[in-house]
Amino acid sequence: MGAAMTEAGLFLLDLLLVLTLLCLAWWSLAATDLFKGIVLFIAFGLVLALAWVRLDAPDVALAEAAIGAGLTGALLLTTLSKLASSIDNPPAKRSSPVLLWVLLVMLAAVLGYAIMSLPQQAQGLADTVASQMGNSGVEHPVTAVLLNFRGYDTLLEMAVLLLALIAAWSLAPRAATSCEMDEALTVSPIVLALFRMLIPLMILVAAYLLWVGAHAPGGAFQAGSVLAAAGVLALLCGKRLEGRLAGWPLRLGLVLGTAMFVAVAAAVMVGGAHLLQYPLASAGKLILLIEAAATFSIGLTLAMLFSGQRPSRGPAS
Amino acid sequence: MIEASGTPLPWIVWVILLPLIGAMLCFLWPRQGKTLGLLTALATLLAVIALYFQLLDGGVIRYAVGGWGAPLGIALYADGLSMLMLLMSALVGVGVSLYALGYFKHSPDNPAGFWPLWLLMWTGLNGLFVAGDIFNLYVTLELLGLSAVALVALAASRDALGGAMRYLFVSLLGSLCYLIGVALLYHAYGTVDIALLGTLVERNPATHVALGLMVVAMLLKSALFPLHFWLPPAHASAPAPVSALLSALVVKASFYLLLRLWFDVFSTVSMDLGMVLGVLGAAAIVWGSVLALRQTRLKLLVAYSTVAQLGYLFLPFALLSPLAWQGGVYFVLSHALAKAAMFMAAGNILAFGGHDRIADLDRVAQRLPITMTAFCLAGVSLMGLPPSGGFIAKWLLLDAALSHDQWGWAVMMMIGGLLAAAYVFKVVGFAFTQADAPHDAQPVSPFMEWSALALAVCAILLGLNAHYPLELLAIGGPVTFVSPSP
Repeated sequence: MGAAMTEAGLFLLDLLLVLTLLCLAWWSLAATDLFKGIVLFIAFGLVLALAWVRLDAPDVALAEAAIGAGLTGALLLTTLSKLASSIDNPPAKRSSPVLLWVLLVMLAAVLGYAIMSLPQQAQGLADTVASQMGNSGVEHPVTAVLLNFRGYDTLLEMAVLLLALIAAWSLAPRAATSCEMDEALTVSPIVLALFRMLIPLMILVAAYLLWVGAHAPGGAFQAGSVLAAAGVLALLCGKRLEGRLAGWPLRLGLVLGTAMFVAVAAAVMVGGAHLLQYPLASAGKLILLIEAAATFSIGLTLAMLFSGQRPSRGPAS
Repeated sequence: MIEASGTPLPWIVWVILLPLIGAMLCFLWPRQGKTLGLLTALATLLAVIALYFQLLDGGVIRYAVGGWGAPLGIALYADGLSMLMLLMSALVGVGVSLYALGYFKHSPDNPAGFWPLWLLMWTGLNGLFVAGDIFNLYVTLELLGLSAVALVALAASRDALGGAMRYLFVSLLGSLCYLIGVALLYHAYGTVDIALLGTLVERNPATHVALGLMVVAMLLKSALFPLHFWLPPAHASAPAPVSALLSALVVKASFYLLLRLWFDVFSTVSMDLGMVLGVLGAAAIVWGSVLALRQTRLKLLVAYSTVAQLGYLFLPFALLSPLAWQGGVYFVLSHALAKAAMFMAAGNILAFGGHDRIADLDRVAQRLPITMTAFCLAGVSLMGLPPSGGFIAKWLLLDAALSHDQWGWAVMMMIGGLLAAAYVFKVVGFAFTQADAPHDAQPVSPFMEWSALALAVCAILLGLNAHYPLELLAIGGPVTFVSPSP
């Protein structure tokens, strides 16, 4: 009786999640006010994170909440604040295109049909992963897949992140000198006090997430996004990189994650092994090394994307 | 088939890692960007050539990254087709790198991002050509799409930003469609390895939907009519070296991926769609050519010519004979070289006169003879005149059509050739006449002139040495490429 009750309750919860997601997505897309659209999008990300929890994917849930909802939301809001000055009137409302609707409905029908036809339980690779966990150097299957079994994908994804930053910088203006920035911004002392208390805590949480990734949900992307959040907070409090750090030291920090990954991947080949074929004895340490560098670079990259400017080489004065 | 584990240097890995390392170095030392970029381009070319010899010696290469092997790990895979694409990218890549040395010296476009972005694009291209795993292919598509969009936006103009934005949306939409296909296939068959999928795939709704979505994604990214709308603004407004890369290589990458999926994953279910692709290809040839003929700006003309020429690549899907597939792949190579040369020549003309209005070209032929020679040689290949690579490609396609009495396709190719001649001669004609309002001319770097000419000459040479590429294509190629048709 109790089990049936729980099952019914969970079914209702799932139904509620799905309906909320659909509504939030629709409202976010249909909102004519961009600010409202972004806020709804952030809410959408948070509910989606809950949905991932229900799907037994806590790693994805953490990443979705931190990056999908948190940092993407912050990026969208800071973009909006920069757009505000250049857009005077909202774009005129266009008539909804009939052809698009027909195509979308067809796509939904076809996709629905295909998904319904699939077997309920996918065979997947979970068993293969489980049988090889002993050779992976870590104890958490998601980390084993991301950093070992399919580490090459993650290596290229790190390159994509670097690429995103280079792309943003190639479009962005150079920041004004750091002195001007600081003067333009007045931050309340309460926020500053909070900032001083939060930053060490956030760095500690990031380090914990990085460490715990070896045997539980966590890892470089989650830790990196917490670090990035600390960076965003610092930027909001008017902190800027010192001029002498804004040149090549900053760029080094940004490529560190990808560079370390490539270096380790290539270095293990020296003994005649394949790319990314870690020696079993040191696999755990090498993975931690890659993840530590990746965490640092991910945090720095996301924070730099938030700032939206290339830091200037520093004031001459 | 060899397992490339015991070999001293797995070149298949280095053709991906070298441009990636080069990109990071260029980002770290932007001032040395040119030197580092050029060195990386040469190193990558050498690695590709080394891989070529490895392939000739030992046949098809399969490499298990991390030593795991499919289905748990990721496999890299190189056969004759991948090798041709790698060689094509390396040749065009080195040509464009030399061109860029001169181009960004005088151009108002933003040079800082070019080298790291272009080298990351090259990483994506090479990664895509040797990927043996459909999810890994998605990651390389991301690298490719994002870098292409950022490179278009380097031209700091309103047109370029608009074109880049639209390109970004199209590219993301394509990637998403592809990713849904990957998810469906993984759920249905429990693996993302291409070779394993090829043996497992069977006719069922999930497979058909995955096929449909992935094909549409690749058509969108390859700009096949009527999904070509994004290409002309993006390709025409980008800086000249970027236009050359996009038209020569980036659209070919998604075409290559389509071939891989078609033959290696969906070979048992894909054939029903072939006729549709062929008809769309024929429509692209006519529509693209007519629009190219109507353009008044040189770069837009060249961009619409790409829309038309891409149509030929899809004719083999309807012709369905080994000859046609050889012709299609040959077309990829010859178009890459010719179109890169043509966009570079157009860039020279734009840099020289400060505009690209075709009617006001004002005796460019006398004043930029090397550039104009490059343009004409590239035009010869696009029209399909002997002895160019374009001629061989069209000859193979025509032969395939005529030997099966498929006259309709042959007529389409003839019309396409005539229209191509018309738009090339339109440009050449104005290049000899004097414009009403003569204007000041800017000097054009010799790097820009000679690299355009070199690629155009390569497009012609491709016609004189047809058996090398065709023999290479036969190494491990899908059965339909080599076996005589029944």
